[in-house]
Amino acid sequence: MASVKLTNVKKIYDNNVVAVHDFNLDIKDKEFVVFVGPSGCGKSTTLRMVAGLEEISDGTVEIDGEVVNDLQPKDRNIAMVFQNYALYPHMTVYDNIAFSLRLKKVPEDVIYAKVTNAAEILGITQYLMRKPRALSGGQRQRVAIGRAMVRDSKVFLMDEPLSNLDAKLRNQMRAEIILLRQKLDTTFIYVTHDQTEAMTLGDRIVIMKDGYIMQVGTPMEVFEKPSNLFVAEFIGAPKMNVLKTNLVKEGDRYFVTPCGAKIEVTGYKEKLLAEKGVQGGEILLGARPEHIVLADGPAENAIPCKLEVNEMMGSELHLHVFSEDGTRWIVRVPTIDLSEEQRQHLTNGADLYITFEGKAMHFFDPETEKNLIYGEE
Amino acid sequence: MSKKKLTPAIIKLVLGCIALAVAVIFAVMLGRFLNGEIPVKSPYRSGSLLFRYVFWLALSGIAALLLLGLGLREMIKSSKFNGMAKANGIELKEEKSHRLQDFFKKIGHGFVNFFKAIGREAKDIVMTFIHGDWKTKISYLVMGFGCFARGQILRGILFLLFEIVFIGYMVIQGGYWLSMLPSLGINEQLTNQYDPVTDSYIKVPGDNSFKILLYGVLTIFFIIAFLYTWRVNIKQNRIAEEILKSGKKLRSGKQDLHSLVDDQFHKTLLALPMTGIVIFTVMPIVFMILVAFTGYDGAHNGMNKLFHWEGLTHFNEILNWSSGTKSYSATFGEILVWTLIWAVFATFSNYFLGILVAMGINKKGIKLKKLWRTVLVMTIAIPQFISLMFVSKMFAKDGLINLFLLNHNIIQLGGELPFWEDPVWARVTVIIINIWIGIPYLMLIATGILMNIPADLYESAKIDGASGWKQFSKITLPYMLFITGPYLLTSFIGNMNNFNVIFLLTGGGPTNAAGSSAAGNAGYTDLLITWLYKITMGEEAKYYMASVIGIMVFVVVGVIALIVYNVLPSVKNEEDFQ
Amino acid sequence: MSKQDITYGTQKRHMGMRAAKTLSNTAVYIILAVISVIWLIPFVFIVLESFRCECHYQVGYIIPQKWGFTNYIELFQKTDFPKWYLNTFIIALFTAVIQTFIVLCMSYTLSRFRFKMRKALMQFMLILGFFPGMLTMIILYRVLKDIGLTQEHAVPGLILVYVASSGMGYYVSKGFFDTIPKSLDEAARIDGATRAQVLFRIILPLAKPIVIYTILTAFMAPWGDFVFAKYISFGASAGMNVAVGLNSFLSLDQIMNKYTLFCAGGVVVAIPVVILFLCLQRYYVEGVTGGAVKG
Repeated sequence: MASVKLTNVKKIYDNNVVAVHDFNLDIKDKEFVVFVGPSGCGKSTTLRMVAGLEEISDGTVEIDGEVVNDLQPKDRNIAMVFQNYALYPHMTVYDNIAFSLRLKKVPEDVIYAKVTNAAEILGITQYLMRKPRALSGGQRQRVAIGRAMVRDSKVFLMDEPLSNLDAKLRNQMRAEIILLRQKLDTTFIYVTHDQTEAMTLGDRIVIMKDGYIMQVGTPMEVFEKPSNLFVAEFIGAPKMNVLKTNLVKEGDRYFVTPCGAKIEVTGYKEKLLAEKGVQGGEILLGARPEHIVLADGPAENAIPCKLEVNEMMGSELHLHVFSEDGTRWIVRVPTIDLSEEQRQHLTNGADLYITFEGKAMHFFDPETEKNLIYGEE
Repeated sequence: MSKKKLTPAIIKLVLGCIALAVAVIFAVMLGRFLNGEIPVKSPYRSGSLLFRYVFWLALSGIAALLLLGLGLREMIKSSKFNGMAKANGIELKEEKSHRLQDFFKKIGHGFVNFFKAIGREAKDIVMTFIHGDWKTKISYLVMGFGCFARGQILRGILFLLFEIVFIGYMVIQGGYWLSMLPSLGINEQLTNQYDPVTDSYIKVPGDNSFKILLYGVLTIFFIIAFLYTWRVNIKQNRIAEEILKSGKKLRSGKQDLHSLVDDQFHKTLLALPMTGIVIFTVMPIVFMILVAFTGYDGAHNGMNKLFHWEGLTHFNEILNWSSGTKSYSATFGEILVWTLIWAVFATFSNYFLGILVAMGINKKGIKLKKLWRTVLVMTIAIPQFISLMFVSKMFAKDGLINLFLLNHNIIQLGGELPFWEDPVWARVTVIIINIWIGIPYLMLIATGILMNIPADLYESAKIDGASGWKQFSKITLPYMLFITGPYLLTSFIGNMNNFNVIFLLTGGGPTNAAGSSAAGNAGYTDLLITWLYKITMGEEAKYYMASVIGIMVFVVVGVIALIVYNVLPSVKNEEDFQ
Repeated sequence: MSKQDITYGTQKRHMGMRAAKTLSNTAVYIILAVISVIWLIPFVFIVLESFRCECHYQVGYIIPQKWGFTNYIELFQKTDFPKWYLNTFIIALFTAVIQTFIVLCMSYTLSRFRFKMRKALMQFMLILGFFPGMLTMIILYRVLKDIGLTQEHAVPGLILVYVASSGMGYYVSKGFFDTIPKSLDEAARIDGATRAQVLFRIILPLAKPIVIYTILTAFMAPWGDFVFAKYISFGASAGMNVAVGLNSFLSLDQIMNKYTLFCAGGVVVAIPVVILFLCLQRYYVEGVTGGAVKG
């Protein structure tokens, strides 16, 4: 149970490839922080530097106020769960979980109590005497978590723990990790490339790209106020629709003009634009699929489109539509909002009109890709 | 032109000159060969047609090897093959630095970096002295002083002890050996000296060239080790100062010891193996390289009679193509050619036949797979020398085969099959027997790899209508070659140095019956390595010649390895396999 | 074409394929049988010759006219063979233990540690390997002779020579270590293990196949070594190993009386090695295949 502080942390490999640039982050005690980003963004490297498995080229890592740069992993009092579980194949599940305690020369009866307790929490009691090879993926992952649990460590590190599981199991384990977190009540750093995991698990999310931090914030913040285009596109599924268009300022009112339509910016977004003194001009407009709605017919604020693909997801439909200038839009429509007739109308090639809510739009600078409203200067 | 641009330009110029020189030498040699000047005066057949055949065969063998490598590389580059490699977890990276032309650049950079590094070190030594405190400054003279002064007793003791041992050695022994090294001894041993005390004739021992060379080399190693330690000592002072300045504590002796089983564990693990390698391989090799420049042989063994530095004379002897018939150079040329032919045949015949046998055993529908395999594997288990010596006698003039044929009147007395007596028969026979020796290994290796070829490759090929031969040539063979590229190289080098097979089968023979034997008593099946052995074991025991040949072997092997390594992708990136 | 014709046609094609398959399989069987015979024949010959009593030299037939153990008896009573056998066994035993230790140290380090000189070290050893090892024999012999480890006392000298540079033969086992996931080491280090504990408690138990392979090859090599053994024992019968000793039976002045003794000696040497080998065959095959793939 400890805070973790990374100050100007850098990782430069021997071949002069910089994997992590100047990473600064303050993780509070008992916080659950998720590092997320595409592969090769440096998230695992950062985690491994915290663990002591990777040398820190520059900067400092502090755990509980102590600089740990020169400490061996075993002296940092951390626990870690690996993507491929890293269970010792020649030991039984019991021995796997007990390994760290035995190294610390903990008495056997204490070990027994701890291991059985952990096994009970994770529901693997009946497998304790088996070798890892006889377990399924999900069970192995539980053992790996159990191994980390019994150590009572200050920080719990998880490196893509769910990526080797199939989709269904992943959802289940995700829920279990939330439960585990409530039980353990310790500091977590969790690495994943999956934004859903990041959103559902994290108190705070660190979004990384090419070794740089793109944004740090709560799930709500990064979703609603993405500070740049990368974050906006990375968070949320399906991906945000983005197109180049113009922002027009008419008096106090702002309009966007995608594909010939004219849509007014409304609500707090308008206010914020005015506060920032945005003058209009060419911008990148972002609209999440769920914020796009089907219009009843031609209107000034509606864009005429052709439906190309209709994906039925059960609770909702994902419509891939193309506007006249060839822009591709993805629209999420809740199934329940559609009448039987409307549904039948949604066949390939059907003509549709789409529009979006004025307050749900995002505006990015086409050059810097920064959010015009929330982007830091 | 600015300074920065000048250095690469100079390197390019130097490299260009070297390349040009190599090309000229090559062209001249080729020209002389075509004129019939070069191996004409072979000890056996002056300029015979057969010899030229053989020479061209060897050349084309090498060319084929190169082409094979290049072709492989191209194949692997193609996307389809990439997918195949990926299926096996092998990532291919396009690495420009491994191209051949870049290699020479790398050598240039290596030199430049080396001198730059020395410059940096020198600068660091001076700067540490200027900026260091008095403890550091004293450490320049008394190694380990800084460690003592800062409380790292264990390190201090080790440094100081090393310095004392070094100075003691240099005063008592090292100085003498080092001073004698340039002359390799001055006073010859005197025999039959009258000793008035005992009233008899005695030997007065003189200098010992062998020991001077040996201990001279040792002393130089020791000096290098000392300089390195001295440098480490200074560096540690600097680091210790920095650590203390930043307010941290230095490592205690106990922590130092503990780190030897933890973060410095590799040093502990490497200590013993590296000591063995340095003492029993590196130093002897350095010594033997030096021997090539001296006159060390059986008569001048350094003790009874001194030997001295003789410069490049012996290299000249072996490379001077125009010297006489029984010269080392003529023999060397012929043996080198045969060594290459042998290596090509021995490697590739085993390789392809081994794959075929493995495919036969693993063919669908063949039963008793285990039996066939065990039969072959068993032959690996029997120590090679037994089978080789037995087979050698079996094919002898009075051996089992010839006697058997005689008994059944298939051949007449005097008409025995000359397995070991005729040069061509002997060469063919060793190659065939080597196939017999080698196939079981290759069968094992090929079996393992064949099983790993993804079955869907064959299935898709079958659906595409590929015939059996097509499947072999388009899937099996490229795959095998790709996976076993490094193995082929090692086995090629291994065959070039395959002492046992040649020596135990033919002893290098047949030699010339007329008694006008070639240099070093070389025979028709001698490889460079067996020739080398014969020279050292021969009456004259020309160690310097053996040493020159050893260096030549190194050069030939090195060149081949260099080319293959820079052409084959699968050799290089060890991390790709992980 | 009627429906019947079509079925008939496919049937015919089926039969054609089957016939072709039988034919090719038969061909493979014949080839395999021939190969097996060729590969086994010399060994059968050795065994038969070792039981031949009527003549000590080579003869033109295979089946002995007079069977018996005289060759074996003579081998053990009248020659130094028992001494050679013991020498070789001692050498093999020590070499196996020490060499395995050294090779494992080397290969584990090169597989797991990323220290500054690692790449350079590996390249250096590769280049070192291009020098013919035999060359070093000249000086090693003289140095060993000075210490008194040649001729009659060649056994410790030979062990030293075999073992000293064995660190250079790390390739195969490094290849094996490379296949053990690194995350196991990392997990153990986070669990509180020192590097040494990682090696002894995690890696070594998993490396059993390669340990056995290394022991097996290290044990077998001295039985077949000829050059070094000959050089270092240098004519002293008491210091020879089986290869050098038995080879002396085939020299011009001895072969007339000792050819069949050689065969008997060969059989005695081969039997234990072959048995050991066949028992541990699985590990050997694994090692050889892995080694070829990894280079």
